[in-house]
Amino acid sequence: MPLSETCIHDSHVKLGAKMVDFAGWHMPIQYTSIVSEHNSVRERVGIFDVSHMGQIFISGRDAAKFLSYITTWDMSRLSNGDCRYCHILNQNGQIIDDTIVYTFSNEDYMLVPNASMITDIFDWLNLQSTDFDVMIDNKSEEFFCFAVQGPEAPRLLRQYFNLSITPFKLVKSDNVIISGTGYTGEKGYEIMGPLSESLEIWQSFLDMGAIPIGLGARDTLRLEKGYLLSGTDFTGNQTTLESGYSWVIDWNHDFIGKEKLLVQKEKGYKLLKGILLEERGVLRPGLPVYYDGKQISELTSGSLSPILKRGIGLSYIDLPIGTTVNILIRNKQLKGRVIQTPFL
Amino acid sequence: MSEIPENLSYTEDHEWVGSDENGGVKIGITDYAQDSLSDVVFVELPNVGDSYQKGEVMAVAESVKAASDIYAPLAGKIIAVNEKLEESPELVNESPYGSGWMVIMEPSEDRSALIDAEAYKNSLD
Repeated sequence: MPLSETCIHDSHVKLGAKMVDFAGWHMPIQYTSIVSEHNSVRERVGIFDVSHMGQIFISGRDAAKFLSYITTWDMSRLSNGDCRYCHILNQNGQIIDDTIVYTFSNEDYMLVPNASMITDIFDWLNLQSTDFDVMIDNKSEEFFCFAVQGPEAPRLLRQYFNLSITPFKLVKSDNVIISGTGYTGEKGYEIMGPLSESLEIWQSFLDMGAIPIGLGARDTLRLEKGYLLSGTDFTGNQTTLESGYSWVIDWNHDFIGKEKLLVQKEKGYKLLKGILLEERGVLRPGLPVYYDGKQISELTSGSLSPILKRGIGLSYIDLPIGTTVNILIRNKQLKGRVIQTPFL
Repeated sequence: MSEIPENLSYTEDHEWVGSDENGGVKIGITDYAQDSLSDVVFVELPNVGDSYQKGEVMAVAESVKAASDIYAPLAGKIIAVNEKLEESPELVNESPYGSGWMVIMEPSEDRSALIDAEAYKNSLD
């Protein structure tokens, strides 16, 4: 199958990006270097093309009720203009995908699923919606999405849109939706709109000083903050409780997967925790974690923190914070410490 | 265009081999290799005294995204390693033929299996 290209694909190539296959898309992994792009976002401001992500619109009389049923959050608690991060679970309480719900009104919402999950989520929503008066519209191919992230992001937003937006709020400006959201832990925004406007916005933000950032730095930026990566930290078998994101659950409403979560809450479970390498090295997904001479788990995510200059990773483990474990790297056991995320 | 000094020998695995003052050979990775790897953030070097057969993995250079094996370009014994790379692995990127060298080896075979700059350049095309 040929790879999909985002609306500004040619611009990435012209900028000299190293391009890779990511979830069926031909995407920039880096333009110059992952470390320098990472530092640009932490110190100044960067722009990411994340147009491969989805936009699914849910509207109708039962939209709030339906979304409350299929996500971990109760939409009746949201006001117009609110964004909310939550999980979409199967009947076993396992995460299908994580998403942000955009509230335009209590009859009009948008979900932003991960690129590789758009079809699965669209099908799942349709399957679950039979008893609800809702319209489900997948407009993923009609929208660009750029993330502008970093301490200088508010200045750029004011300069271009004459707007300031607080975290987890959204504003519609003509055809463009702008939210105070992101995946880096820095101040920042995600900008979504019709493809016809993408190049003008992308180029303007570059001209104002935003550094283009590839998916490589997107991964190290999110990992330093302990944010989950779909398909890596959850792969269909892990629950919201296990992922350490119990704060995205509103227990005072009914939703798919709730019963299983209640049972798990009583029984106890392995929790996704951070591992900070205490010796020199780089952690990688899949590396085995040992405790007391026995392998107890594998890393789901792993990399090197460009800021801490230490190996960092995530793993589902049943050991208290502060425990020393060993990570097997090329036949050597290196010491790591179990820590509570974020790393930074 | 990557830099390929004329006075060095090369392998098709993107390592360079040069003469060291004390009779050994100095070994590192080429400009092309450091550029493909991008930010080198960790280098695992062998121990002084270790011996390798030609083609055996003797070191590993890791970038944020990937780990890359470095093979012994010749059979021989390691007589020195670049300890500066422990603190400053980025030297491999900044100066692959200079301060980013990796090991000095006392080879137990001649350099006839290596290729010259011209042949290495052609192997990149």
